[in-house]
Amino acid sequence: MVGLSAGEKHFIQGGIAQDLRADGRKRLNYRPIYVETGVIPQADGSAKVKMGATEVIASVKLDLARPNPSQPGKGKVSLFVSCSATAGPMFEGRGSEELSTELSVALQRCLLGGKSGAGAAFDPSCLSIVDGKLCWDAYIDGLVVSADGNLLDALGAAIKAALTNTRVPVANVPAGASLDEDPDVDLSSQETTRIDTSGVPVIVTLTKVGRHYIVDATSEEESQMSSAVSVSINKERRICGLTKRGGAGLDPSIILDMISVASHVSEQLMNKLDSEIAAAEADEQDT
Amino acid sequence: MEYVNPEGIREDGRRPLEMRHLHAEIGTVARADGSAVFEMGNTKVIAAVYGPREVQNRSQQLNDQALVRCEYTMPNFSTGDRMRKPKGDRRSTEISLVIRQTMEACILTHLMPRSQIDIYVQVLSADGGTRSACINAATLALADAGIPMRDLVTSCSAGYLNSTPLLDLSYFEDSAGGPDVTVGILPKLDKVTLLQMDARLPIDIFEIVVQLATEGCKAVANYIHEVLLENTKQLEYRRGL
Repeated sequence: MVGLSAGEKHFIQGGIAQDLRADGRKRLNYRPIYVETGVIPQADGSAKVKMGATEVIASVKLDLARPNPSQPGKGKVSLFVSCSATAGPMFEGRGSEELSTELSVALQRCLLGGKSGAGAAFDPSCLSIVDGKLCWDAYIDGLVVSADGNLLDALGAAIKAALTNTRVPVANVPAGASLDEDPDVDLSSQETTRIDTSGVPVIVTLTKVGRHYIVDATSEEESQMSSAVSVSINKERRICGLTKRGGAGLDPSIILDMISVASHVSEQLMNKLDSEIAAAEADEQDT
Repeated sequence: MEYVNPEGIREDGRRPLEMRHLHAEIGTVARADGSAVFEMGNTKVIAAVYGPREVQNRSQQLNDQALVRCEYTMPNFSTGDRMRKPKGDRRSTEISLVIRQTMEACILTHLMPRSQIDIYVQVLSADGGTRSACINAATLALADAGIPMRDLVTSCSAGYLNSTPLLDLSYFEDSAGGPDVTVGILPKLDKVTLLQMDARLPIDIFEIVVQLATEGCKAVANYIHEVLLENTKQLEYRRGL
């Protein structure tokens, strides 16, 4: 990224202080969000989300597998994010490892729940085929195609849309088949079920610049941040995950204030996302 | 195994000399100097160009021409089975090299000495012909970045199954183990810059298949011309001309 001059930095900080950012937005406004589903034909579910110049793609692939012995009635879910070199030369070769790991871990914390499977974004028992013997493994992959700030929010939205777009094939296992070796699973019926994504949270990142917080920072604004707090909130206004980035220390009261602001913003974001996802799905049905 | 049924229709409903549906968009990655998305049927590829810019590694700097670098990556979700190692595997390295050499041949590198041009190609969805789609996307991205080139480079693949030459192989046809010829040409100058083939072909059939692939390249070139013309019209319109 090209460096910012002292004048530009002053302009960004001053604008945020006066509730008028460089692109005309107010502090708590998101950039226009554009959702498209079904972008990867080979995946079982996929979505592309654009927030301004930030573009991310999420895909969900399902593979047959044995469930975890400690959770026989549930499928396994894994999540990885990678940054494509198209987003910038700094992501070439192994340059993207650090950021990819950071994003993956933050999203896993928000969406995958604890070791017992409790608190996950969606109920993995919908992935089970035969209790204790056969289940679907869901691999959620995120790919950052173009980076202009606010990657975590965009990835959260893309994963939510991709999960909504996922069609889980209905697998018929013939009765009496031996399930200790690889069973003959009948996938010929074209029926599919959907995953209930009403519990999937959205992620709202609040970036603190000076004394104010902004939502949906561009990468120029992020370069001026002192710290950022990403809060993952679901429909019931409950917090599903929390991450703080940036070295500056924050007073606990400020963190609580940021959480309440995030909670307020999340409602608008959730509604906007739900309507965009529904529209994208309808578009996909038509084509 | 039947790849062309007795009526002459292939597995995806095309005729032997029919290409898949082409679709291209320019300027999708706003932060890149040039970018493009290119689709050939279900194969979808995004290319981004950064440059000409200062050389990052001084030891690689060339004093009389630009340094062209290319990286090709496939994410783990792009093929039917999830891949374990998306970057740095041997196939990716080979294809990066192929794309770099092909594009280097047509960029006027002597106009930009001591600088570096980076071409990053990311496969989003792979269904056969990824090499060709990458070259086509890279051409569009370079044009979008305004980098001077001798000519466009377009690429297409062709094969020979069930005694029929087939244009633009899909993954299903490619994995049949028959010959797969990839050709890259400079359409206006009518020169071949890339020619790769695997498996075996008798020489006279080889000529037919290469000719077919070249025709495919010319069809892609026509389409790319249209896309670039439309893009220029849009730019003129936005500038109020």
